[in-house]
Amino acid sequence: MNMIAEPGLAADAAAPPAGSAGKQVIRLEHINIFQKKNLILSDVNLHVNEGEFVYLIGKTGSGKSSLLKVLYGELQIKQGVGQIAGFDLVTLRTRQVPRLRRKLGIVFQDFQLLGDRTARDNLMFVLKATGWREAGKMADRINEVLEQVGLGTKGFKMPHELSGGEQQRLGIARALLNRPEIILADEPSGNLDPETTKEIMSLFFDITQTGTAVLMATHNHNLLEEWPARTIRCELGKVYDQP
Amino acid sequence: MAEEGNKIARKAVRTSYLSSVVSIAMVLFMAGVLAVLLMNARMVSDHFKESFQVMVFLQPGVGERQAGVLAERMASHEGVRSADLVTADDAAVTLSEELGEDFVTFIGSNPLSHTIDVRFASSHANVDSIALFEGTFSGEKAVQEIRYEEGLVENINRNIRRITVFILAFCVLLFFVMGVLINNTIRLTLYAKRLLIKSMQLVGATRGFIRKPFLWKGVQSGFWGAVLANFLLVLFLYFTQRQVPELFGLGDFRLMSTLVLAVFAAGIIIAVTSTFFAINKYLRKRYDELF
Repeated sequence: MNMIAEPGLAADAAAPPAGSAGKQVIRLEHINIFQKKNLILSDVNLHVNEGEFVYLIGKTGSGKSSLLKVLYGELQIKQGVGQIAGFDLVTLRTRQVPRLRRKLGIVFQDFQLLGDRTARDNLMFVLKATGWREAGKMADRINEVLEQVGLGTKGFKMPHELSGGEQQRLGIARALLNRPEIILADEPSGNLDPETTKEIMSLFFDITQTGTAVLMATHNHNLLEEWPARTIRCELGKVYDQP
Repeated sequence: MAEEGNKIARKAVRTSYLSSVVSIAMVLFMAGVLAVLLMNARMVSDHFKESFQVMVFLQPGVGERQAGVLAERMASHEGVRSADLVTADDAAVTLSEELGEDFVTFIGSNPLSHTIDVRFASSHANVDSIALFEGTFSGEKAVQEIRYEEGLVENINRNIRRITVFILAFCVLLFFVMGVLINNTIRLTLYAKRLLIKSMQLVGATRGFIRKPFLWKGVQSGFWGAVLANFLLVLFLYFTQRQVPELFGLGDFRLMSTLVLAVFAAGIIIAVTSTFFAINKYLRKRYDELF
């Protein structure tokens, strides 16, 4: 099944393809990232193609999260070229941010589930918030993603009744709902034990098979050995492609 | 065990909702009591003003019919609420009762003349209106004298003005306190949900979409707060009226329904506006600013 179902904005997602792989879904050139007035990362250049798995590594405070925040519209950038899923990050307006986020799947270290409703209702909220209207289609899509992450029988549970691994899988199911072009994951295994981390990683690699790119921030270097993939390092205010 | 945890979580949500409804109700109840006080203060001052009386003494020998016509003319004069004719015979009966002896038989004839008691509407119980009245009727042949206590009317008016200013200032203060209290309650309730609000934004929900259920909840808290406040107000009026029967209250349907509706309107408007501003505050904040 092709996960990139919606053309439109995605089709003209900027930039000619770099190299041999498919089209670029992330393209950052010469951008500076500030938190308030502090320069966190300077002259950032980053290209990610569809279906690619990319690690983002670096020490705590090296700017990994800030880079991700730029990508999902939580931090503004003022100059350079910044394109993601067809949106221009430099000219992005507050009003457009919700639409950008529907093109992305975001997975957080602390899950960010809605604690006041069941797993199923967590997913339902996202569908309603992103403009789905038909009850039948919504139920189908929810079943689909719950199956995909192995939570097919647990939709009725409240988030606090799920284990850490299950909560993160619910977070990933939520990120998958709108068939995103890119999944941004901020330390998704940070709160999980090694066994559960393995499950989550294999889930991510499965997802890339469907054409969705995954950009995952982590400081767990064991993962890099066990699941080798392209790695980008944040260090001393710069971003490097690590050979 | 999971069931149990679930129950506790739901109970916690319900308790915070309930406490915000109760605090809204308390504040609305206070405001309602104040409104009752204000309406009654107005009635008391009107009562005082309307009890102010001007006496018109007629010339001896003016017939009862002529006096009646004059009383009718006075009653239709601008600002006059009532003009009652007291005939010489009636006055003699009253005076005899007061003196305890039949002075008419003693003197041989009734020395009293007809009088007309004039009372003004509360809006016209002032020096100017009374002077205007005096100017119109003092020239009449049938009128001997128009008499009233000049200082009294000014005194009444001055005191009422003072009391009104005091009560109004108190009202303004109370309404301010009411706004702050309800606003605070709602902001606290929403503060507890700020991370939830942020999560909703992170998965692509628009501000309007996030706001809608919160505003609806605001309407509901305002509504139930008003229901509770109105219930307490009716109870309060019922028991107060048994102590102070002159107080307006349950019997006055028009005033009561205005009061009840005003409590509903105030409750809902204040709850919704506070919710709107509080939630916008969290919608605008960035994730790291929430801690």
